[in-house]
Amino acid sequence: MKGPVSIALAAASCLSMLAALFMVFVYVPTEAEQGIVQRIFYFHLPCAWVAFLAFGIVAVAGALYLWLGHRIWDDLSYASAELGMLFCTLVLITGSIWAKPIWGTWWTWDSRLTTTFILWLLYGGYLLLRALADDTDEIARFAAVLGIVGVLDVPIVIISVRLWRTIHPAVLLTRQGEHGLEDPRMVATLLVALGAFTMVFVWLLWLRLATLRLRTRVAALRKDVALLDLAGAHR
Amino acid sequence: MLEGFGPLVRKDLRLELRSGESTVALVSLSLLILVVMVLAFGPGGARRAEVAAGALWVALIFAGTLGANQALLAERESGCIRGLLLSPLEPATIYAAKLAVAMIFMTEAGVAVLAVLVLFFNLEFGAALARLVPVFLLGALGLAALCTLLATVCGRVRAGAMLLPVLVVPLFTPALIAGCKASAALLAGQPIGAVTTWLKLLAAFDVLFVTAGYLLFEHVILED
Amino acid sequence: MEHFGYLFAAYSIIFIAIGLYAIFIGRRQARLDREVARLEAALRAAQQPAASPEQHQSGP
Repeated sequence: MKGPVSIALAAASCLSMLAALFMVFVYVPTEAEQGIVQRIFYFHLPCAWVAFLAFGIVAVAGALYLWLGHRIWDDLSYASAELGMLFCTLVLITGSIWAKPIWGTWWTWDSRLTTTFILWLLYGGYLLLRALADDTDEIARFAAVLGIVGVLDVPIVIISVRLWRTIHPAVLLTRQGEHGLEDPRMVATLLVALGAFTMVFVWLLWLRLATLRLRTRVAALRKDVALLDLAGAHR
Repeated sequence: MLEGFGPLVRKDLRLELRSGESTVALVSLSLLILVVMVLAFGPGGARRAEVAAGALWVALIFAGTLGANQALLAERESGCIRGLLLSPLEPATIYAAKLAVAMIFMTEAGVAVLAVLVLFFNLEFGAALARLVPVFLLGALGLAALCTLLATVCGRVRAGAMLLPVLVVPLFTPALIAGCKASAALLAGQPIGAVTTWLKLLAAFDVLFVTAGYLLFEHVILED
Repeated sequence: MEHFGYLFAAYSIIFIAIGLYAIFIGRRQARLDREVARLEAALRAAQQPAASPEQHQSGP
């Protein structure tokens, strides 16, 4: 928590986040059609990006765990799944808050919303497994397999949900802001926000990974103490 | 490559012929689900085909996950899984055999469900029902592939029996969407040509997850 | 300034969520740190009496 790396990451996250906030609220012009609510987009999309990145890391780290067998890969995929879930939840919440004034409803079964929600359910299951299961190698391998299968599922979920929605024509307009960012300042703001969220993600991942590593160490120490106690009782 | 596949399948089928446990459980659970759906939505009405299709897939999902749970728990309790792992069989072969057995059970339950579906929802035994068979089989294969891979979690985790559907249902959604849409269209009397997109999607889903299960099974079946 | 409330809500929820998560990590880390300290002390305590009689035996 107090190492030089985590201090550097914390500083970088805070600074880039401040820069992103400045750009969103001061620098970028207000979008003509949607008004100021459209500014939610500059933080909404980066949340989605980070969530996808995190779920990708879950699968890659899981595959590396199966291949190399070192516990750090399992810890990485666990930490990443938790963060992915956090940002996926934020995507759904901020999306909902954006949809209410623009579409007039908190939730619609639009293809992107549905896909995100299915991913949320999927990784919710993954974290439920982690919460219920003991911290053993068997479970780590199972979680790695689940992470890989989950990522394999993503493209086919996207395709199926899109087909499902196009057959039933969408009632509502597609979101304007996501296709036409007509002003270059909007693009710049989005890029800065993407950078800031990536920094925050790396920072939180680093912190969470440290606690998970420590958890492994505690388990090893507990074992040592138990063995010594046993040896002492024997003597 | 698949040495021992036949004997493994025969072993499970023989056990089932003796006790009949899984068949009874699967068929009765899916019948009850159908009853609930009929009570909730009524047997007639304009959206009859859609409700019937939905009922079919709900029955498949819950009967399938419960069946997979049961099959693996029985293997564990009898210590049979340890014996299989000690044998020189490839884990992938065990996967293929378990998948085949799960498919047989699901098909069995499917036949019962389809027959009752026709009666409950006043449909016709005929071409529409026959066209439903490939859709059902493709969906069942995808579900069996996922359940066989992931059911290994049961017995390792507290509340593992509850966890399996929580893990499987989100993964199964693409096939679920395709299956429901295709079945509804076919039950409404459309030709099979109208649902080729959905059939392709189901086939892609099956290829993906049967392959994934075949390759990954060794990692989840091994014990510490 | 129409819909300012929605904008405010969206941004504050993001920061509250990230903040709460950071606090959650911090508390977990603190608990584990204490646990490590306790276990290491226990380990030392368990090793001491085990080590001393051996020293006596090998001494004379």
